[in-house]
Amino acid sequence: MIDSSEKLLLVGDNPFHGISHLSQERARSRTGKDYSITDKADIVTTAIKNGADGFSFTVSDVTLSILKELREQGKTEDLKLYAIVPYAFEYVRIATQTGTPGLAKKLAKQIAFSGDFGAVFGGLGALMTMRPEAIMKTYLAYELSRIRSAAGKKVVLSCVLLHEVITDMGLALNFDWLFKSYVSYLLKKGITPGFNTRNFPYLVNKFSEWDISLEQTLIETQFNKAGFQMNPSREECEKTLSSLSSPVVLAISVLAAGYFKPPEALDYIDSLDNLKGVVVGVSTMQQASELFQLLKKRSKS
Amino acid sequence: MSERKLRLGVIGLGKMGLLHASLLNVFPEVELVTFCEKNALMNRLFKKVFSHTGTLIVNNLDKLQGLHLDAVYVTTPISSHSFIIKDLWSKEICRSIFVEKTLSLNFSQSKELCEIAKKVGGTTMVGYMKRFSVVFGKAKELLSKGELGEPKRFKAYAYSSDFLGITKESKSSASRGGVLSDLGCHVIDLALWLLGPFDVHEVLSRVRNEAGSETSVSFAVSNSNKLTGEFDVSQAMPNYRMPEFGLSIECSKAKVEVNDDRLILTPSNGGAQKKWYRHDLNDNVFFSMGEAEYFRENQHFVNSVLGSRECESSFDSASKVDFIIEQVRNKSVLQ
Repeated sequence: MIDSSEKLLLVGDNPFHGISHLSQERARSRTGKDYSITDKADIVTTAIKNGADGFSFTVSDVTLSILKELREQGKTEDLKLYAIVPYAFEYVRIATQTGTPGLAKKLAKQIAFSGDFGAVFGGLGALMTMRPEAIMKTYLAYELSRIRSAAGKKVVLSCVLLHEVITDMGLALNFDWLFKSYVSYLLKKGITPGFNTRNFPYLVNKFSEWDISLEQTLIETQFNKAGFQMNPSREECEKTLSSLSSPVVLAISVLAAGYFKPPEALDYIDSLDNLKGVVVGVSTMQQASELFQLLKKRSKS
Repeated sequence: MSERKLRLGVIGLGKMGLLHASLLNVFPEVELVTFCEKNALMNRLFKKVFSHTGTLIVNNLDKLQGLHLDAVYVTTPISSHSFIIKDLWSKEICRSIFVEKTLSLNFSQSKELCEIAKKVGGTTMVGYMKRFSVVFGKAKELLSKGELGEPKRFKAYAYSSDFLGITKESKSSASRGGVLSDLGCHVIDLALWLLGPFDVHEVLSRVRNEAGSETSVSFAVSNSNKLTGEFDVSQAMPNYRMPEFGLSIECSKAKVEVNDDRLILTPSNGGAQKKWYRHDLNDNVFFSMGEAEYFRENQHFVNSVLGSRECESSFDSASKVDFIIEQVRNKSVLQ
C-alpha cells in the first residue's frame, strides 16, 4: 500500500515500448527502442539512483523482461512497482489479426498455460458462469502472478492501475460493478487500486456518483502546460484536481512527450498544489540521471 | 421544447463496436437501446456485462424490428456491410446508418447502397474518422483558403506493422478486405477530401503474403487538372506500432507535409517554415477514447441525425474511395 505522506517520482516505460505522444516519427527515431533489456534495466536503475521512487510500467513481455533482469542483478529489493494492466496495444493488435473472439480464446489459452493454478481454476469457474467480475478477477490474478514471477518476492507491488482503454470504456458504459469489484479485489490483496484515464473530471464525477472513495485509489492522468490530452480542457482538469480532498493524482505526459523542456514543464507542474507525484519516461541513462536529479531538487524546494 | 433522445443500436461488438458504443453513451442526447452480436460466446458474455445497463443484447437483426431506432451503427466485417444495411432498410429498422469503413466490399455494392440511401432519405456516414483529426483539418483549412496555390503533385502513405511477420492469412485479415480496404482507404479518403477527384493510372507494386492476402500496394493517380500523385500502403511496415497516415502535397506556392501527429508548411519562396503539432491545435474533446477524432466523428453523426443533415463522410462521398480501390484492383488484374 502507499504511504499517503510521500511524494512520488516514478520512472515510466513509454520509451521502452517505442511510444511518443508527440509523434510516431519521434518514437521511431528514439535510440531507446534499439536498447537491449539490460540497457533498459540500467535506465530504470539510473532513474532510481537519481531520485525516482519506483517504476510505472504496462505489463508486457518487454517490461517483465526488464523486471527479471533487475531481479537477476539483485536490484528489486524495495523497488516499488506501479503496474498498468492490460497492455491494451498488444490486445488490440491481436484483435486486429484474429477478431475479438480470437482475442478472448488466446487470452484464455495464455491463462490456462500460465501454470498459475489459482488463475486456471478461477478461470474455469469464470468461463462456466460468464460472470464478468469473476473473469476480471481471474485476469488480475494472472497478471499479478506474471509480475511476481518476473520480479520476485522482494519487490513492492504498490499499485495496479487499470489501463486507460478499459477505465475510460468502463466510465462511458457506466460499469460501476467493474470499478467496485476491481477496487475491492486489490484492496484485499493489500495493493492500491489505480486508474489510468484521459477523462479525469469525468472519472471523478462518476466515482462520486457511484460512491467509490478516491482516497483509497491512485489516478494517473495527463497534466501539462499545453493541456495536451487533458479532456475536456486543461482548466476543467485543474479545477477538478484542486477540488479533491487528498492528493491521489500522478501526473503523466508532463513534458507533453518532449514538446516542453523539463524546466518549463516543471514550472507548470509546481503550480499545481494537489498532485501526488509525477511519472516521466526517459530513454537514455543521461536523461534518467539529469531529469530525476532535477525532479528531486524541485520536489524538495 | 421537449428534449429528443436519439435511439441507437450497434451491430457487431468487436473493438470498433465497443469504441463507438462507449463514446455514444456519454452523449446526453443519445440512448443506447440495443447491441446485436452474432458470436454465441461474445453474445453470452455481453448479456452479463450489460445486464446492469438495461441495454438489450440480441443475436439477430430481426430482433431490432419494432425498437423504433433512429440510427444504427454497423461495425461488422466489411464483407457483411452491404447485406446488413440493406436488411436494416428493407425491414424498416431505421433510416440513418453509420458504418465502419469501407462502405462495402466493392464499388458495385457501394453504388447500390447509395441509390437505396437516396430513396430511404436518412442520414448516412462511413467511419473515415481522419477527417475529424485536428492536423488533417488544419491541412484542409490551409488548402481551402487557396493561399498555397494550385496542388501539383502529392505522395500519400498508410503504414502499419499489424501484419508484419504474419505469413498465414488469418480469418480476420481476409474479412478486413486486405490492405486497401483496411488501411489504404483512410488515406485515399483524405486525398479525395483534400484534393478532389482523381483516377488510378498505374499500379506500381503489389505484395501478397504466402496465403495470397495483399499486404502492400503502391499506385499512381492523376486528374484532368494535371495533379499527379502516388500512394504507398502497407500493413507489414517495420516500426509502425500504430497505423500512420500522411500526405506530402506540393502546391505552386508552398509544400504541406501532414500526418497524424503534425503539419509542416514550407513556402516555396524561401519564407519561414511553420509547424503545428496536435498540441497546438486544441485537440481536446468532452470525452476521449482512442484518438479525439473518434469523439468528433460520433458528435458529427449524432448532430447530423438530429438535424436531418447530410454527413461529412456520407455513403456518396465514401463510395468514391471504393471506386478508387476498385480501379487499383482492376489495374492489378490487368498487369
